[in-house]
Amino acid sequence: MTILRAKQLNVFGATLSRRQFIKAGGVLVVGGSLAGPRALKGEGAEPAAMGNSIDASLPNSWIEINPDNTILIRTGKNDFGQGTVFTAYPQIVADELSVPFEAITTVVQGHTDRTPDGSGAFDFLGEGMPNIRKVAAYTYQALLDLASERLGVAKDKVTVKDGIVSGGGKSISYGDLIKDQQLKLTIPVSGSLSGIEGIKVEGKPPMKPVSEYSVIGKSFKNSATTAKVTAKEKWATDVRLPGMLHARVVHPKTLGSTLISAGQVDKTKYKNAQVIVKGNLVGVVAPTEWEAIQAAEQVASATKWTEWKGLPGNAKLYQHLRGESDWKSAPVAAASTNKGNAAVALATGKKKLSATYQLSYMKHAPIGPTMAVADVKPDGTVHIHTHNQNPQLLRSEIAMMLRTTPDHVIVHAYAGPGHYGRSNGGNAGAEDEAVILSQALGKPVRVQWSRADDMQWSTQSAAAYSDVQLAIDEKGKIAAYQIDHYMPAMQDDRPIGAVLAGLPTMSAPDVQADSVTSTVNGLSDPWVYAPVPNVMERGHGTFQVGQKASPIAVGLRDHSMRTPGQFQQNYPRELAISEAAALAGADAIQFRIDHASEERAIGVLKAVREASGWDTRPSPRPGAKSTGSAPVRGRGVSLMYRSLTYWACVCEITVNPSTGAIVVEKSTIAVDPGIVINPMQLKRQVEGGAVMGVSHALFDEVNFNESGVTADDWISYPIPSMADIPEIKVVLINNPKVSTYGGGSEAANALAAPAIAAALHDATGKMVRRLPLKAAYVQAALKT
Amino acid sequence: MATITVNGIRREVNAPGDTPLLYVLRNDLELTGPQFGCGLAQCGACSILIDGKEVRSCITALSDVGENQEVTTLEGLPARWAKQKGIPAEEAKTTLHPVQQAWIEEQTPQCGFCQNGMIIKATELLESNPHPTLLQIKAAFTTSGLSPNLCRCGTYGAIIDAVNHAAQIMARG
Repeated sequence: MTILRAKQLNVFGATLSRRQFIKAGGVLVVGGSLAGPRALKGEGAEPAAMGNSIDASLPNSWIEINPDNTILIRTGKNDFGQGTVFTAYPQIVADELSVPFEAITTVVQGHTDRTPDGSGAFDFLGEGMPNIRKVAAYTYQALLDLASERLGVAKDKVTVKDGIVSGGGKSISYGDLIKDQQLKLTIPVSGSLSGIEGIKVEGKPPMKPVSEYSVIGKSFKNSATTAKVTAKEKWATDVRLPGMLHARVVHPKTLGSTLISAGQVDKTKYKNAQVIVKGNLVGVVAPTEWEAIQAAEQVASATKWTEWKGLPGNAKLYQHLRGESDWKSAPVAAASTNKGNAAVALATGKKKLSATYQLSYMKHAPIGPTMAVADVKPDGTVHIHTHNQNPQLLRSEIAMMLRTTPDHVIVHAYAGPGHYGRSNGGNAGAEDEAVILSQALGKPVRVQWSRADDMQWSTQSAAAYSDVQLAIDEKGKIAAYQIDHYMPAMQDDRPIGAVLAGLPTMSAPDVQADSVTSTVNGLSDPWVYAPVPNVMERGHGTFQVGQKASPIAVGLRDHSMRTPGQFQQNYPRELAISEAAALAGADAIQFRIDHASEERAIGVLKAVREASGWDTRPSPRPGAKSTGSAPVRGRGVSLMYRSLTYWACVCEITVNPSTGAIVVEKSTIAVDPGIVINPMQLKRQVEGGAVMGVSHALFDEVNFNESGVTADDWISYPIPSMADIPEIKVVLINNPKVSTYGGGSEAANALAAPAIAAALHDATGKMVRRLPLKAAYVQAALKT
Repeated sequence: MATITVNGIRREVNAPGDTPLLYVLRNDLELTGPQFGCGLAQCGACSILIDGKEVRSCITALSDVGENQEVTTLEGLPARWAKQKGIPAEEAKTTLHPVQQAWIEEQTPQCGFCQNGMIIKATELLESNPHPTLLQIKAAFTTSGLSPNLCRCGTYGAIIDAVNHAAQIMARG
């Protein structure tokens, strides 16, 4: 092997270095790519064999261009059905590189040792600037530099179409450009690989002008879909390792119980099963899944736990939050958009509203209960096979639990049941338990939670309440708006098995805890009614319910869930705005338009008004009725800004006042994300969000007593079926002049609840300010 | 030792007779189409066809499956369609069941975990009712089985689109 020449080149702050090889001395040098960790090491080893981390500052960690013109992309983000990683990402890369969509033949996601940037399954489009976009832009510039040199034409005189660079009457493909070379482009990055936000690509490489997009904007299909509907997908649930044991965990009797004595396996029935106890963690393992299930049931019935009754129970949840929670220890958060003097203006307003809005705990409720396979090797290396939304963060949590360093932990990420943010904080629930059991047994262990485990031992979306005061002036405009949001810490990322086993974890939510696990309740619903002169929005936080009282520091653990925090703040705001419109005798959509100044906010409101066939008038409707068994109709609207995207929603309902049963007949959603990357995928995301929104509005409520969650299956935690869905109409507003692309897989789920509650008021004249709007609650509220 | 016929092949299974068929399919026969969702016949993620009827494999014991009963999993749908239509063996290898084709065309799944059961239910429906109305589709997915087929991602609308699309493909043959 002879190195002909080595060279470095500056590419907009990135560094391109190159070694060119020829065949010599009987060594076959495989044509390099641009470039890949394998080529970087100059050997044929798989990345995992080279140590446990690849250098995230290397663009070849993100993009590999092969001599055959195929392109591989890598992302640490793990797609759970958003489709972004398999559609939008390749589309973005294709346009930045000027190649067809089909040129991107492989997408590698999630695996801690084969992907570069970490972070969670949220904010896929990175406020319009996901890592992969910048990486592709740097790569494009490097390719232009190489082509300029090869073709002997100035860089600004070369053009690219479909991966062929032309200039000076000559042309060359990307594949030929990088063939037989080892190229390395080093780009500037910041952040921490195993932090919740992962690594961020820095710098300002030139971007492809929006006017030159040809791949973005088209409805390419999701390649993962084909694998999933043909049983070709490898799910985490499908992982089977040689010598693997099946396990079930016997979780404590309550969310505050400690172990008195673990039951023994009845060896006359389950001769291959055994019990593993570590602190308050009781695991039952067996060679077959069925023996493990049965033995675990038998052991559970013989296991003794202390009693604990430290929760308020959901019937008293609101009284507990308002009257007994500590809202003083965490500093009050204030919105940066606060202005004027709301207190003074509230005192002088003509018409006033003072109201409290309540939200229940909600389960993420994945269709598949969580599971994981762990293999703790004799040398201390840990392999975890899981469906996880933030594998790099899991790696650091497991390393902490084992008192080792993250490079000893390798997370293999697979497809899994959507769980809507539940593992964005690093653990999906069972990984740590599988590791503990595997370490104890010296064998690979597969832990599968039951449906009841998943309902009772997973985290949930935090309950909340908000106090609103507002005043309307003589002209029917909002003179002052004040809202105080109260919510327990929304994210507890301690792995539950580690907590039960008494092993090291990060701290429980506290004022001092890191970012999302802090008890501080930050403002997360951007204010969209700029013309209102006096605004005061505040957030008040506290510990999780039962966290302090539980002898094992558990209680009701929370975790962010699709549109986290913002749902808890947008529901009270938007319902209050609908109330304000009614108070002013104004139409709810026109009232919003009259209080907005942002063109895109007004745009989605007008679009949803037209598409839904909205009749402009005040609420409640003429003939509104809160009694009788004849169904009455109503409609309501909501507005949200999230992740560079504007959303408006109209829900039309009928309600039977005598039973309180609501039927959502039609849901119309208008969405302006700026540039629509993939209309088909966005439409499907919005439709799904609309259905989940009906669930939040009418179904989702975690029932719990003084000891723990009482819901344990789909009967005690019902979600909508196909019979419950409305007709859904989605209006996509492609707005290229915005020049960025906003997120589309969140927000839609949060829109329905305030619109449906406003529709209930429109139909009946009664405002019900508590979610969910279950028939029994609505029936009772309409009687008052 | 039990013998069952899965996707047209007779298989010997060395598992206790009370083992739920779901674990036999996934762990012994390595057929991973059916998924564990609840173990309680409340969601449909584990559904399979037995003699053309949608069955929840999580509560069906191995010993309840007759040797000559025809078990079809997601993996077996292309061959099932090929056999029904008399498609030659070579062509059958690259043919998907129309329901699978439609699921791809309509980009129905999001996370996809429930879609095994949705596809099985759609196949059962369309084999007996080639042109279902909207109400008949909704009835199939909510009241025809032991429980509604549940999807947390909210793909029900996309499923309805895909069932209609599959009906068109099947009508073309």
